[in-house]
Amino acid sequence: MMNSMNNQALVSELENRFSLLNVDLVSESQVAIDISNNDVHTVLAYLKSLGWKQLSMLTNVDWIEEGKYQLVYIIFNWDNPIYIQVRTKIERENPVFRTVTSVYPGAKYYERDVHEFFGVKFEGNPDSEKQLFLENWDDLPPLRKDFDAKAYSDRKYAKREYTKDFSNKGGKK
Amino acid sequence: MREIKLFLGPQHPGMHGNTSVHMYVEGDIIKKSYLLPGMLHRGFEKGMEQRTWINNIALIPRICVVEPDINEMVFAMGVETLAGIEVPERAHYIRMIILELARISIHLMAYGGIGGPTGHYTLMYHAQADRNRILEIFEKITGHRIYHQYIVPGGVRKDLPVGIEDEINEFLDDLASRYLEIRDLGIENPTIRKRLVDHILLPSEVVWELGVTGVGMRSATNKPYDLRKVLPYARYDQIDFEVPMADYSDAECRVDLKLQEVVQCIGIIKQCLAKMPEGPVRAKMDGNALKFRVPKGQVYAAVESSRGEFGYYIVSDGGTKPYRVAVRGASFPQGLLGVEKYLPGTRLDDAALWFDTMGVCSPEIDR
Repeated sequence: MMNSMNNQALVSELENRFSLLNVDLVSESQVAIDISNNDVHTVLAYLKSLGWKQLSMLTNVDWIEEGKYQLVYIIFNWDNPIYIQVRTKIERENPVFRTVTSVYPGAKYYERDVHEFFGVKFEGNPDSEKQLFLENWDDLPPLRKDFDAKAYSDRKYAKREYTKDFSNKGGKK
Repeated sequence: MREIKLFLGPQHPGMHGNTSVHMYVEGDIIKKSYLLPGMLHRGFEKGMEQRTWINNIALIPRICVVEPDINEMVFAMGVETLAGIEVPERAHYIRMIILELARISIHLMAYGGIGGPTGHYTLMYHAQADRNRILEIFEKITGHRIYHQYIVPGGVRKDLPVGIEDEINEFLDDLASRYLEIRDLGIENPTIRKRLVDHILLPSEVVWELGVTGVGMRSATNKPYDLRKVLPYARYDQIDFEVPMADYSDAECRVDLKLQEVVQCIGIIKQCLAKMPEGPVRAKMDGNALKFRVPKGQVYAAVESSRGEFGYYIVSDGGTKPYRVAVRGASFPQGLLGVEKYLPGTRLDDAALWFDTMGVCSPEIDR
């Protein structure tokens, strides 16, 4: 339908159809749009029908001062090379969102990844709550800004006591 | 027949790095499988938030062990987009030389890798010997064999040493002259062909479903879906090269495309060496490097790695450290979802070949 749209044409196309909270033209080949939670699935499905068939990445940013998480879906169209960051903010406490595996099946493991590192529950993706990278993790999800890696390691692992004395005694044994 | 639970890896000649596949087999057919990552998880994304932009240059190459230069490149590209840094012309060409040398080395390594599961270790030794010569060239250019820390925001760390052009040309000519011999050792070898031809198929619907990129995508869709062509970074738009592609993706086809890409890489490097202008190699940045700040913004930078689209999502809040960096490993889709959905049905002895020809790299999945 629309071959080779540039980023501004793409944004005006989206603005006509959806209410965008914020638009950021990152570069000639990259656009970032902020949308409300309820628009995510319709926007992604619409963009997929336009040819943005590849979900390059799903990730999350922890805006701790605002008390929000920001989910970022990065999608790409190989025939009309523009990266689109589709971003939406969700609550930081008890974060829950709906899965997008119905639109992008490849999101399955990205959602698992985000669940493990940020604690976001994805409704409709039962596998998303299984352990993936971190074995027997027993603390806050580690990529949250309030997780202190140093304190965790001090608490979890005992201070090692050295039995050998490596200090230099002037060359004498 | 009784179903048996098996682990492939992490200690297995055909497994690539520190990851394991949990599989249920009936006879020698895999019925169910999934990847068990996490053995190589080093917490890079957290670590990058705790270091300054400049300190990160030393950290990021370690994300992918065999192909570190793409990490440096995407990090530099992201920072340059956010901070609006203009890279000098010569630095673009030097970056392309480094990236293409790395691509040759990793394609050779992957090609040698099929020697393990097929029992032809000679292939691996030959491929590694050629890779070693590339590492020696890297050592002369950057001072390091593996983790170069050479491509930095604003250009490259230092200029090429005098006379390295001759050495690179000599190596490339030698490699090109032995191209048919290298093919004969592996992909033309009848016993290896029996394991590759019409095995381990990757249909184009699966490519789109999983989100596979790189050689896998080009071998199935017959389209030049290569970021160097589609969305040229550095100066790939001024270089003449072809993207090998095919419309029937079996294991043999994907290995063949990798070898054809090596030929293209040789051409790219030769053109870069001939076209490279004189001049500075690093943009001037004033002030204390440790207090270098990147303007607020969120950007996704991606390059074509040997396994497909490799990217960083970089978030800056205007501080001296990145606020968040997320890594898209190129083999994340086929490594996790692909193993779960499309490894079943394969014969057990083809599983290691599946990993090799799909290009699964565990360090970038674990991060």
